Amino acid sequence: MTQYFIRRLLLTIPTFIGCTIIVFFIVQLAPGGPLEQQLMALKMGAGNERGGGNARGEGGAMIPESTMESLREYYQLDRSTPARYMIWLGLFPRPINPVVVKDVNEPFRIGEKQGRLEGAPGNYHVVNASNSSQTLDDWTVEEKILKDGTKRVRVYQKEFSGILTGNFGDSSEYREPVGGLIVDRMNVSLQFGLIGLILSYTVCVYLGIQKALKHGSPFDVVSSVLVFIGYSVPGWALGLLLLVLLGGGSFWDVFPLGSFQSRDYETLDFMGKLWDRAAHAVLPTIAYTIAGFASLTVLMKNSILENISQDYVRTAFAKGLRERRVIWVHTLRNSIIPIASRIGFIVAAFITGSYFVEWVFNIDGIGKLSYQAILSRDYNIVFAFTVITVLIQLFGAIVSDFVLALVDPRIRFK
Amino acid sequence: MATDQRSTTATPSQPPNGNEAAVAPPKKSLTINQRRWRKFKGLKRGYYSFLILVTAYILSLFLPLLVNNKAIIVHYNGETYFPAAKSFFVNIPAIGSIFGSDFYSGESFGQVGNSGEAVYRKLQLQYEREGGSNYLLMPLYKFGPIEDISVDGNDPLKAPFDSDSQGQFRLLGTDDRGRDVFARMVYGFTVSISFALIMVLIDYIIGVPIGGMLGYFGGWFDIIMQRIIEIWSTLPILFIVIIIASLIRPDFWMLILILSLVGWIGPTVLMRAEFYREKAKDYVAAAISIGVPTRKIILKHILPNSLVPIITFFPFTVVGGITALVSLDFLGFGLPPPTPSWGQMLGVGLSNITSSWWLVMVPLSAMFSTLLLTVFIGEGIREAFDPKVFSRLR
Repeated sequence: MTQYFIRRLLLTIPTFIGCTIIVFFIVQLAPGGPLEQQLMALKMGAGNERGGGNARGEGGAMIPESTMESLREYYQLDRSTPARYMIWLGLFPRPINPVVVKDVNEPFRIGEKQGRLEGAPGNYHVVNASNSSQTLDDWTVEEKILKDGTKRVRVYQKEFSGILTGNFGDSSEYREPVGGLIVDRMNVSLQFGLIGLILSYTVCVYLGIQKALKHGSPFDVVSSVLVFIGYSVPGWALGLLLLVLLGGGSFWDVFPLGSFQSRDYETLDFMGKLWDRAAHAVLPTIAYTIAGFASLTVLMKNSILENISQDYVRTAFAKGLRERRVIWVHTLRNSIIPIASRIGFIVAAFITGSYFVEWVFNIDGIGKLSYQAILSRDYNIVFAFTVITVLIQLFGAIVSDFVLALVDPRIRFK
Repeated sequence: MATDQRSTTATPSQPPNGNEAAVAPPKKSLTINQRRWRKFKGLKRGYYSFLILVTAYILSLFLPLLVNNKAIIVHYNGETYFPAAKSFFVNIPAIGSIFGSDFYSGESFGQVGNSGEAVYRKLQLQYEREGGSNYLLMPLYKFGPIEDISVDGNDPLKAPFDSDSQGQFRLLGTDDRGRDVFARMVYGFTVSISFALIMVLIDYIIGVPIGGMLGYFGGWFDIIMQRIIEIWSTLPILFIVIIIASLIRPDFWMLILILSLVGWIGPTVLMRAEFYREKAKDYVAAAISIGVPTRKIILKHILPNSLVPIITFFPFTVVGGITALVSLDFLGFGLPPPTPSWGQMLGVGLSNITSSWWLVMVPLSAMFSTLLLTVFIGEGIREAFDPKVFSRLR
């Protein structure tokens, strides 16, 4: 059993690498990346300054080659895509604190010290300017000839940091580390997810049992239609419907029209805050969880139906047990197994649906963040979101198996 | 369990009702597919959903003659023209070019000073006023899905059952750019269903052979493909599609292609499992031992026995296809802008949510009913194929 889970954990590594490679290459090989956007902005800026007169000139002529190279280095476009992928993972060193040396004979400032280049071209190394016998080993010298023929010498330090060390890079849009951004937004999304998860499990067990016991009754038929709607219609569309009906404007004004909290949230007292949060949470929570809830209910009902015709249930009745005990103890214990094992998938489904729901309800969660990141080509956020989704999917599947083994002692994975 | 079996074992020997037993000779038993079709017809919810949806889709193929801003027939100066049919044929890819331009200019029908496309609603009034031998037959509902505010009378944000400034009746109102909501909704139906059907067919064409081969031959190919399938199914698919769509602005066929890049996984996994299971059975061993060629074993013996899961899977894949299209369109990463699509309508609806409820409600109702009908069909098919008495979704 332990062996099985260790093997499963190890198998996630190639899958994870495969997934990240695919996303990384799709994004990196696509035209119109951050460099192009930056260039466009620069050209527009230059054009505007000159009154828009000469903006149509050749791009290369307007932006000096050294600036281009700096930009390329900033976006690591001077390296091959596989190298960039390895840097991003954290397996290759990432250049940090780069300094471009304008004159190879003059000292330059690196960190808190003054440094100087020593040695012949092609074989430089950095020494402390005030004490030339002290070699600064942690600085690497990189020399290259640019397209316009000028020579460019750059010194930088190396650092192994990437997603494996928890460094997701900086967001080009928000100018702050992606890790922190994602954690902030994740907190918002997770609140809905957790409430929804608990609610769907409690309600679906009860509803599933009632539907199974009253199979074929009007209650079953009516609730079936509702469950079918929840099953067939995507959560965000149902959320949109509820928003039109209950979110004010045309029909009833029961709930606020989206967003996470009111604008005057800070001025409210504690109960007011609680009420405000709750009012904002109702519709999004339904939208987040309806799909998982519907399939869980159907699964629960069928599972109960399947179990209730088994011999052990007949035996329990024959022993003279009360119906309540037979259903809620004997049958439930066996019927809960397929439901419990879906927990990982439900969590994964929640995160993959989040960008639509958060777009509809204007919630600043992780889904909306990543959606906007695609629009603004903020690749570090896109990558981070992919990594998180993939990890949740992978571990969700393992957790599902684990829960399955937990609730069903007969199951022994090998 | 014992009660569950009754429904399957009973059917072959007992005809469903006495009437038919009298007509058909009692010896003749039904094939499995006839029995399934009977059972499906017996499940009213699924059967009627099937009839409604198929009728609606067939009707929707003739939409250019039913809901359109182009006239069906124009009789002008002794000659008869068919503008709606012409634009319909021209817009079919590949053969369209032989018909030349897809519209008649206003001037060719006596609409003075209009060198662009003729405005047929105006033209109709003009002919009635003139009272000559010229006449014009408009479709039942005379607004097109694409014409916008640039045409007179297409006022933005008209409520349902309202009349616009030209006094024309608008069944379901207009959107923020004056486009007719009813016309866009019905055309959106054709687009959605066609899109989903084509997508699912492509998925199956790719997935069924691959899955079958993986299940039958196994080996290294299978192990490698398993890893690839695991990677594909772990990726956040719609997110990836959004990334790709944001980079290349796809059209109808491109979008189908992108979605099929990931859609083939479903049928592949199902077929692989089926082939794997069937291959281990005795009849396959028997066929191999008497020297039936492999190709024949796969196509004649195993394939017919392993189609059940992908047939029952079909309607649910269609639901997935429609949902994916609407979701992508909703975020603005789907079909290119003038295409009438529910997702795009919902996007417009969301930005006008406080003022114009119909912009959300109309496409939502259309989508809800289509998806619900499809799921009902799926449930019916599943039940018809499933020997158990109760239904299940997965």
